[in-house]
Amino acid sequence: MAESNFRQGAGEGTEEAEETVGSLNFQIVSGSIEVAAPRPYPWEERARMSADASDLSLVRRVQRGDKGAFDALVLKYQHKLVKLVMRYVRNPAEAEDIAQEAFIKAYRALPQFRGDSAFYTWLYRIAINTAKNAVVSRDRNPVEYDLDRSNTDESYDMQGRMKDSETPEGLVLTDEIRSTVNAAIDALPDDLRTAIVLRELEGLSYEEIAAAMACPVGTVRSRIFRAREAIDRRLREVFEGGLGRAEELG
Amino acid sequence: MNEELDSQLSAMFDNELPAAECELLARRLSRDGDLKARWGRYAVIGAVIRAERGVTLDGTMAGRVSAALTSEPALTDDAARSGRRVQSRWWQPLAGAGLAAGVAAVSVFWLRSQALSGHSQVVATVAANSSLVAPAARPAVQSGSVAASDSFVVPPAPQGQMMVVPATELADYVVAHSAFSWPVSRGNLLSALMVSEPGTSSMAAGSDQPPPGVHGNAIQNPH
Repeated sequence: MAESNFRQGAGEGTEEAEETVGSLNFQIVSGSIEVAAPRPYPWEERARMSADASDLSLVRRVQRGDKGAFDALVLKYQHKLVKLVMRYVRNPAEAEDIAQEAFIKAYRALPQFRGDSAFYTWLYRIAINTAKNAVVSRDRNPVEYDLDRSNTDESYDMQGRMKDSETPEGLVLTDEIRSTVNAAIDALPDDLRTAIVLRELEGLSYEEIAAAMACPVGTVRSRIFRAREAIDRRLREVFEGGLGRAEELG
Repeated sequence: MNEELDSQLSAMFDNELPAAECELLARRLSRDGDLKARWGRYAVIGAVIRAERGVTLDGTMAGRVSAALTSEPALTDDAARSGRRVQSRWWQPLAGAGLAAGVAAVSVFWLRSQALSGHSQVVATVAANSSLVAPAARPAVQSGSVAASDSFVVPPAPQGQMMVVPATELADYVVAHSAFSWPVSRGNLLSALMVSEPGTSSMAAGSDQPPPGVHGNAIQNPH
């Protein structure tokens, strides 16, 4: 150990010895002590172990009669569910109807939800079954649309988008939201943008992002929060000043 | 709205908040309209980053679901309890295994009792065939008492003929095994099954204590 030195963040491939001091991970390798990426704090360990805790806490509240908690679950998963259903039906309006039906079915079936699987996995299955049933039902009772079948798929989609609940205002708002969020993401500092994109696009956990960005998990949490806040600041203006839909989210 | 709360909300949205903090925040989230609106915008941000085409982002669906659920009765503790009742089914596999083990045990005991009840008939059969029994073993069989049932003799093959009698040989193995097996497992299912084996019915019944001379005197080993 006469030539011991300290090097930070260079612990790859060192498996000879490992010792934990506080939240730091010291690795003693061939006479040198390397300080690898910090070990997670206890609260971070707990967070990792309770992977589905937030959904589960909301589900338990709904099971105890709190409908407001179910609104939070709908807000969180509505877009994912619509996108999922759109694998079965091409019409976005129909997909929204099916997703809505799936949420209502899920609410009714929630007393039977045992928490064996993640809430979204359970909801996913309900949505898939609802979509399949809708497709079967539609095939049995085809609705005659007044469409020129010689039209291209694109025009068919466009007409589908304009049906039922889709309003021109809604489409305009959606486009405005997209452009606002994309502009806000472009304006983010690199570290914040990388953290939020890894989380939302790649679906990585905080721990995986920490490993990818070589920083503590707490820093990842902070970066993602700050990125969301920066985007949300601009998004809030669209919702509140735009077409007055903000109150419908609440 | 304080920053710590917002940070917790962001972590909760990502399922990265400790369970204890989730409980408190979930209660607040279900009641606080501003917090819920922010939560909804976090979902919108994610949808845009994932470029979910065809998905409208104006949040009307959440409102429609909420409106549809106003006519639904709120889930009560009873409903949740019935859900949890379904949840507490961990004992069912154990109960099934226990039931199966019980049936197996009853079957084994029934087979053993069948074997013992048929034992007196076996002794009578052996006595009737005593002319085939080797002279050294004859006194034990001729007594015809219950005590004599503890000893048994495998009829030897006719003198001068080296016959292969698989059933008899198998009975010999069972008897030999019983002499060295753990006392509890003696007279086990295999022994009981031997009773039904034609030509070996005289073997299994009293196989607990094979007489010392049975191997040397009564069985003519084909090998």
